[in-house]
Amino acid sequence: MIALLRYQAALFLRSHRWLPPLLLYGGSMAVGVQSGQPVLDCAGWAAATLLPVTAWLVRVCVTNEPPAARDCTAAAAGPWRVHLAAVAVALGAALLLAVAGSGIVAAVGDPHTADRRAVVPMGSATAAGLVCAVACALLGTAVGALCNRPLLRSTAWAVPSTLLATVVVLFAGASPANAAVTGLVTGSRTGVVHVPLLPLAAAGALAAGAVATACALAARRT
Amino acid sequence: MRLTGVGRRYGFGGPWILRDLDLEIPEGSLLRVEGTNGSGKSTLLRLLAGIDAPSAGRITGRPRTAYVPERFPAALPMTAGAYLTRLGRIHGLSRAGAARGAQEWLERFGAGAYAGTPLSELSKGTSQKVAVAQGLMGAPGLLVLDEAWTGLDRASRGVLDEAVRERVAGGTRVVFVDHDPGRLAGEAYAVLRLGGRDRSAGAGDHSAGPGSRSAGSGDHSAGPGDHSAGSGNDSGGFGGLSAGSGNDSGGSGGLSASAGIDSAGSGNHSGGSGGLSAGHGAHSGGSGDLPGGPGNYPASPRNHSAPPAFEDTARSARNTTVHIVAEGPAGAELPHGLPGAAEPLGDGAVRLTVAGPQTDDTLRTLLTARPPWHIRSVTEAPHP
Repeated sequence: MIALLRYQAALFLRSHRWLPPLLLYGGSMAVGVQSGQPVLDCAGWAAATLLPVTAWLVRVCVTNEPPAARDCTAAAAGPWRVHLAAVAVALGAALLLAVAGSGIVAAVGDPHTADRRAVVPMGSATAAGLVCAVACALLGTAVGALCNRPLLRSTAWAVPSTLLATVVVLFAGASPANAAVTGLVTGSRTGVVHVPLLPLAAAGALAAGAVATACALAARRT
Repeated sequence: MRLTGVGRRYGFGGPWILRDLDLEIPEGSLLRVEGTNGSGKSTLLRLLAGIDAPSAGRITGRPRTAYVPERFPAALPMTAGAYLTRLGRIHGLSRAGAARGAQEWLERFGAGAYAGTPLSELSKGTSQKVAVAQGLMGAPGLLVLDEAWTGLDRASRGVLDEAVRERVAGGTRVVFVDHDPGRLAGEAYAVLRLGGRDRSAGAGDHSAGPGSRSAGSGDHSAGPGDHSAGSGNDSGGFGGLSAGSGNDSGGSGGLSASAGIDSAGSGNHSGGSGGLSAGHGAHSGGSGDLPGGPGNYPASPRNHSAPPAFEDTARSARNTTVHIVAEGPAGAELPHGLPGAAEPLGDGAVRLTVAGPQTDDTLRTLLTARPPWHIRSVTEAPHP
């Protein structure tokens, strides 16, 4: 599995296909995270941005290998392991972005509430932002896993489905991502920092289920 | 390794590409899979390699597996050497072993100079060498070759043949498809013949048994005329042509040979006797579906008489004229590019008169035509 992860990571890095999602992330961060803005608002924006970016990264990773090469790897290691390694590399990249984004937010964010009246403790605000970002990365992984190969094989279905699912997961009331981001934004108004551990756990469970489904189907359809 | 009742279809309610396949592949066996286009050869190989899961049935006891595809246009962003080293690691080799194996196999195929070349810049043939090296370097317990020879130069095809022999001798199971009917002739291999897709709807009848063959002895793996439908084709061993391009319809509704493979075992068809290794292997039930039953058909008159005739002709063919009587599928025209003269015999058959040395090529053309021709007889023409 380690060798497989290294192989997938090498493919991912050398393909440079991570560049467009990275640019999306950078562009969105430039818009929503600016110097002097309330730190919790910035953290919420950064986390919400990470969700579609992660879904895109998953798409990059699971479609990176040409079919002939994938067949060779699948015969050697088993199709589900190959798929799991690809998704894991994407999640790893997204978690790196989550950490980097939280660092940027901590560096430029203003440690006050939105109305500048109360002070927001920087440490717990950053922690809450990081947890929220990780939850969004996990949900983005779930979206990416369910909206790409092996479940949706054609680009014509995969890309619109990913977009639609991203919107739904970000804005639906019951979604852990929505709960986590809303918690941050509310905290920015009230000055009470709430670390979204429950949404993180829910996101982890959903991601595990989605990835397990995709890996189980990896050998079913080609 | 054992396949039990294995079937595969794509999508819900799609047609069965493969159905009710029972197969046992012991260590050190060499299995050739034959069949027309669309008969499910590649699907079967993908199932065997574990790339694809069967829709029905089970595959148990699969050892560590390597798969070599027909084409490897893998535009991966790394060099050939780096790719092979990484694949070697995935195959379970140590870091040093993988690096060494990568270089050794590339050199063995005469591509050592390309170790530092990005895969995207390799020629088609060299890419294929990388794919083959990938399959061989891991010392797998099962090696699946889907027309892996395609695109290789002559020397590399020889190297691959040799590597396959080494692997089989070392206990690896090797399953292959190749369009060259002479591939690995000289090895004792079993043949698994798949029926066409249109026929796969029926129950799984058993149309072919194994039969280990040793080429050059003019063996043949399935007699045509005895199969009731008559569209069966000879897979006659004629000289170097050890092909089974046979398309055993045999009047049975299904495909899927249920073959017990035992390359060391019986079933050496010289003289048409005892080819079908009845009694060993897993003819799981239903073998009586074949008219006459598998145990019987090597003993049918045609099979008895044909091989010696072929062999005799083969020996004397070098400086004589040979008559080949062939019968085509209804309405089919003779394949283009046949040497010699052709005269219709009236009953749908054609008699070709060719020079002795051209006999092999003529037969090969006829047998590998799509759909293939049935060879009725090959006889030496009377001296003028």
